[in-house]
Amino acid sequence: MTSLTDRYLAATLRTVPAPRREEIAAELRASIEDMIDGRTSGGQDTAVAEREVLTELGNPAQLAARYADRRLQLIGPTYYLAWERLLKLLLSFVPATVGILVGLLAATDGENVGGAVGEGIGTAFQVAVQIAFWATLVFAVLERTNAKLDLPEWSVDQLPEDQTGRQITLTDAAAAIGWLVLVIAYLPMQHVRSFVTTTADGDNLPILDPALRSSWLPFLIAVLIATVGLEIAKYRAGRWTWPLVAVNAALDLAFAVPVVWLLLTDRLLNPEFVARFEWLGRGDNLDTVTTVAVAGTILVVLWDVVDSVVKAYRNLH
Amino acid sequence: MVSDDVLRTHLQELRRGTVVVASLAALRRPDYGYALLQRLAEHGFAVDANTLYPLLRRLEEQRLLTSEWNTEESRPRKYYRTSDSGESVLHRLLDDLAAVQTSMTGLIEGVDR
Repeated sequence: MTSLTDRYLAATLRTVPAPRREEIAAELRASIEDMIDGRTSGGQDTAVAEREVLTELGNPAQLAARYADRRLQLIGPTYYLAWERLLKLLLSFVPATVGILVGLLAATDGENVGGAVGEGIGTAFQVAVQIAFWATLVFAVLERTNAKLDLPEWSVDQLPEDQTGRQITLTDAAAAIGWLVLVIAYLPMQHVRSFVTTTADGDNLPILDPALRSSWLPFLIAVLIATVGLEIAKYRAGRWTWPLVAVNAALDLAFAVPVVWLLLTDRLLNPEFVARFEWLGRGDNLDTVTTVAVAGTILVVLWDVVDSVVKAYRNLH
Repeated sequence: MVSDDVLRTHLQELRRGTVVVASLAALRRPDYGYALLQRLAEHGFAVDANTLYPLLRRLEEQRLLTSEWNTEESRPRKYYRTSDSGESVLHRLLDDLAAVQTSMTGLIEGVDR
């Protein structure tokens, strides 16, 4: 027997389950020889015929997979959607959550801001890679073991709610509330850890004037908590209504008026914080920053109120 | 003009199941892999060798075919034959094939069934 056929048989049988190997080998060898004979009886050269026959049979790994009824895919249609859904769900919040926690821990351990952020991002990336790897591995094994996953059948009740009639989508509401919660958490926290330190000894340097701690700060936090309530009410209503517009405007003003007033009277920022940044002390720089911040605050409030009025008005027409 | 790839895919889809029917029908007369391949080709069933050989083994495992080694010829060959259960499966498949043909004819002629 020529070596090409032997090599082809060896390559095919390597991945066929052992108990059936002998028989498949004998049968396949006979079939290959029959095919070669079929060609040489037509006057073809044996070596050429052998090459052509083996080429026709194709990649031995593929032929072996057909004999063994093995799937040539990592995750097939049975599990693909479940795998994809699980992966999206986990990746949507686990890496970010772990990354933020690790970043905060690193920051409280006295690392500088850049180092803490870097550590958080690095950890989030590692967590994402780990999740992707293990989820895929588990599903690839399920695919190969033909395990019966009693996944619930799809039903019409799972259809997502109609978002078209909504002005306020779940994403918008979640983003707004998430941002508010971060700010609400940072306001009291910055007294202990603002992520800004003094140049001299690395002590924590609050951004806001410590005098506000027992006066305006609790009020501003209360306004922000009320705004979270407004976001929830807005989402449940699904659209802007006139009462929501009124409450929104009131809350905007309740936050912006004290902030602007404190800015203009130089009582918002911690004097030590201002002193820490030499640039702020030079010339009119602090006044310029104050003016820009005041103008920015007023613009944001105006835009928010006008936007809500326009949307509420549109709902009526 | 439809691309050759699209046409080829549809023809493959259409032909895929008929290889099993043709093999079960042809193996009412026992035969070995290569001879069956040629008989099928003569009757217009162009099957790839690398599809047919594993298929025969699978049908044997499903007990639709029985097999026997013949060592009397120039080289030992494995002869397959349609088993009793293979015969009853073949009957069901042929009925279904006929039903598909009837439905298709009816549909094309616009006859309500």
